[in-house]
Amino acid sequence: MTADASFWIVQTLNALQLSMLLFLLSVGLTVIFGLLHFVNLAHGSLYALGAFVGVSASAFAGSYWAAFAVAPVAVALVGIVLYVALIRRMRNAGPMNQVLVTFGLIFVFLDLFRLGWGDIPLGMAEPDLFSGRTAFLGIVYPTYRLFIIGLGLAVLAALSLLLSRTQLGAIVRAGVDNGDMAACLGINVERVFFIVFCLGCALAGLAGAVAAPVLSVTTDMGTAILIPTLVVVVIGGLGSLRGAIAGSLLIGFVQTFGAVLAPQAAAVAVYALLAVVLILRPAGLFPARG
Amino acid sequence: MFHQTPLKTGAVLLLAAAAVVYAFTTGFFGLELLTEVAILAIVAIALDLVAGYGGMVSLCHGALYGVGAYAFASATVLLGWGGGAGVAMAVAAGGGFAWMIGAVSARTHGIFFIMATLAFGQMAYAYFFDSPLFGGSDGMPGIARLDLSGVGLDLKNSLSYALFCTVLALLAYALAATLLRSGFGRTLVGIHANEPRMRALGLSVWRHKAAAFGTSGALAGLAGALAAQHTMYVSPGLLHWTVSGELLIMVILGGLGTLVGAVLGAGVLVFVKHEVSRFTDHWHLVVGLVLIATVLSGGRGIFGQIEFWWSPRGATRRAATEGSPDHA
Amino acid sequence: MLEVRDLSKSFGALAVTQRVSLRVAPGERRVLLGPNGAGKTTLFNLLVGELAPDSGQILVDGRDVTALSVDARARLGLARSYQKNNLFAGLTVRENLGLSAACAQGKATALLADSRRDPGVVETVGEVAERVGLSELLDASVDTIPYGARRRLEVGLALASKPRILLMDEPTSGIGPGGINAFHAFLHGLPGELTILIVEHDMDLAFGIADRVTVLNHGEVVFDGPPQEARDSALIREIYLGSWGADGGTDGSAGHA
Repeated sequence: MTADASFWIVQTLNALQLSMLLFLLSVGLTVIFGLLHFVNLAHGSLYALGAFVGVSASAFAGSYWAAFAVAPVAVALVGIVLYVALIRRMRNAGPMNQVLVTFGLIFVFLDLFRLGWGDIPLGMAEPDLFSGRTAFLGIVYPTYRLFIIGLGLAVLAALSLLLSRTQLGAIVRAGVDNGDMAACLGINVERVFFIVFCLGCALAGLAGAVAAPVLSVTTDMGTAILIPTLVVVVIGGLGSLRGAIAGSLLIGFVQTFGAVLAPQAAAVAVYALLAVVLILRPAGLFPARG
Repeated sequence: MFHQTPLKTGAVLLLAAAAVVYAFTTGFFGLELLTEVAILAIVAIALDLVAGYGGMVSLCHGALYGVGAYAFASATVLLGWGGGAGVAMAVAAGGGFAWMIGAVSARTHGIFFIMATLAFGQMAYAYFFDSPLFGGSDGMPGIARLDLSGVGLDLKNSLSYALFCTVLALLAYALAATLLRSGFGRTLVGIHANEPRMRALGLSVWRHKAAAFGTSGALAGLAGALAAQHTMYVSPGLLHWTVSGELLIMVILGGLGTLVGAVLGAGVLVFVKHEVSRFTDHWHLVVGLVLIATVLSGGRGIFGQIEFWWSPRGATRRAATEGSPDHA
Repeated sequence: MLEVRDLSKSFGALAVTQRVSLRVAPGERRVLLGPNGAGKTTLFNLLVGELAPDSGQILVDGRDVTALSVDARARLGLARSYQKNNLFAGLTVRENLGLSAACAQGKATALLADSRRDPGVVETVGEVAERVGLSELLDASVDTIPYGARRRLEVGLALASKPRILLMDEPTSGIGPGGINAFHAFLHGLPGELTILIVEHDMDLAFGIADRVTVLNHGEVVFDGPPQEARDSALIREIYLGSWGADGGTDGSAGHA
C-alpha cells in the first residue's frame, strides 16, 4: 500500500465514482420518499433492471449508447406500470405495508431477472469513446470511470436547476415541505408525484446501465446496492438534493477508503456512521423538512 | 392488549398436536421441514412480540437469529465449550446485539426504524461474510448437537430433534404470552398506542424499547442455536436481510399481533416454499405475488381473520392497536 | 413546591413566554388564566419538559429540574393532563388507567406477573375510576366512550400516577354545565397535599376553586394574587373584554372564552 499522491488521487476518484452511482440512485429514492411518503425498496431492483436491459440493448445494437438511451426509458415505463398498479394505492398505507409490498416486488423481480437473463453474471463493454485510460495529475485512470463521475455531476447540476429554477421544481419542493398545503393551493400534486416517480425510476435505470461495464450484472445486484442507498438516504436526510449528494459522498468515501485502509472495519464503518447519525440527528444531515 | 383467549390456546395446542402427529408419520424430509418450521416459528414469535405488539417493525431478526447461530458455533467449535454454554452464548449474543439496536434506534419511528434495523442487520451479515475467523463466506461446519443422553434423548436422531424443537417452540409461545401479560408487555403495548403519553407518565421509553428488542433478540438467538445444530453448519446467509424479510412475511401471512399467527405463518411459508419449489425453480415469484396480494387486499392474516370471524367486536378492538405500525 | 424563575421561550421572533416567574406552595390550588394565545399551554409544556426554555429555571421542591427529561420529571411526581385528549387508543379505560398506575408503581418492568391482577394497580385503577366517575365504563374501549368520559379519563391518567404536582390543561373544555359542577366536586375531593395548577377559561370554576390566580397575557405574568383581587381588577377585565369591561359593572360569567 503506497502512501504517495497517486494512491490518494486514484482512491479519491474511485470514491467519487461510487458516490456518483449512489447519488443517481439515492436522489430518486429520497425525493420519492420525501414527496410521496412512499418507501420503495424495489428501487434497487429497478437499478438492476436498468443494467439487464442495458446489457440486452447494447448487445442487440452493438453499441453502449443504445443501453444508455434505452435503459432509463424502459425502467421509466416499468415505473409507470408500477405507479398505476401499485404505488398510487399504497401511498397512504403506512410504512410497514409499503415495505412488504415493495419487498414482494423485489422477490418478483428477482425471479423475472432469472427468467429473462439466466443465472450467470453478465457484462457489458465500455463505449469506445471512453474506453482506455486517461493520464493526468501523475496517474493513469480508466476514462469510463471519469465519465461516470462527470455524468453524476451533470445530473446533480441539472436537478439543482430543475428544483430551484423551474415551476416543477418549486412544486416538488413545496410538496416535500407540506404536501397537503400544496394540494390545497390547487396544485395538481398527483401529476407531479407521477412525474417525479418516473424520473426517479429513469435515474435508477440510468445508474444500472452506467454501472454495468464496471460491475458484474447479477440477479442480486439490486439488493446489494439497496442497503448503501438506504443508508445514504437516511444519513443524508429525507427529500433533499443536498442530503442525497452529501450522503452519497460520505458513504462513497467511507466505503472506498475503508476498503483499502481497513478492510475488516470497512463493512462495519458505514453502519457505525448510520448509528451515529441516528443517535445524534435522527432526521439526517440535511432533511428537506426542518 | 394481549389476551390469551381460549381460541388462541386451542389453536396452539392444535398446531402442537398436528406437529407431533406429523413427526411420527412422515419420513426424513418431512422431519427436516418440521424442524425448520419449529425453529423459524420461535423467531417469528420473537418478531411478533416487537412488531405486532410493540409496533417496532424489524428487518433484522434474521441477523439476530444468525448471530445466535454463529455464537453457538463459535462457542462449541472454536472455543470447545459444551452445548449448554453454547446455547447461553447464543441467547446472550442475540439479546445483546438486539438491545444495542433497540437502544440506538429508539428515537426513530416508522420507516426510519425499519431502515435502521435493516442496516444493522446487514452490518452483521457483512461482518460475518468478510471475517476469516468465522469462515467468511464459506461459513463454519462441524457443529454438534446438544448431548441430552443424560435425559435419554438422542438429538442426533431426526425425529427426536424435530420433537425437541417443537417443544421449544411451544415453550417460546408460552414465554411470549407470559411476557405480554406482564407489566413489561402491557407497557410495551402502551408505548405502541401512545409513546409520548407513556413518557409523560414517567416511563424511560428508550430503555423499555431496548429491553423489549433485547428480549426478542435473545429468543431469536436461541432459535439460532437450534438452527446451527439442525444443519450442523452455519453460513452468513442466515443473516441476510431477505431472511428477515421472509420472517416478516410469515408474521404478516399468519396475522400480525396475534402471536399464534407467527407460528402459523412460519408453517405456511415453509411448506408453501417447499411445495412450490417442487414444481418450479421460481418460488420467489410466487411468494412475492402472494405477499403483494395479501397486503393489497388489506388482510388480517390467516389467524387474524380467524379471530375476526370468531369474535368480530373483540378482534376489531384489539386490531386497533396491534395491527397498525404506521406511525410516521 | 413548584417554582418558576424568569422562564422565557421564543420561537424565532415570537416571544411566547416572557420572563415568567411564579411560586406554587404545596397543596395550593392555582388557576392559570389568560386569553387564547397567552402562552398557557406553552408554559405547561415548559414545566413538564416537552419544550426546552431559552432561559430561566424550574424547580420542584427546591430541586432544579430544568435540564431533566419529561419522564424524569414525571418520576419526581409531576403529572399533566392535556388540552386535547391524549389517551391510549384502542385500549379499554381499565387498561389505560392500568398503564398509568403500573408505571408509577414500578410495575412497568415486571416480567412475569400478570399486571392486571396486581393488587396495587387494581386498587389505584378502582380508586381513580371512582374519583373521575368512570367506574361504569372501565371495560369499555376508549374509542367508544363519549367525549366527556374521555375528558375525565384524560385527567384520570394523570391522577393514576399518584402525582405530587398535578397540572391540568383546560380539563373542562367541551364539557357542559353538569360536567363542570361534577368537576368542581371532583377537585374538592382531591387530597389536600396535592399541589394543583389548572389552566381554565370558566371564570366561575376558576374563582370557585382557586387559592390564588395567575394571569398571563402575551406570554407575561400580568397578575398574581388572590381570586377576589383578580375579580375586581380592571386590568383583567380589560384583557378579557377589551374596552367593554372598562366601564365597571361586571359579573363573573363575562369571561367565557
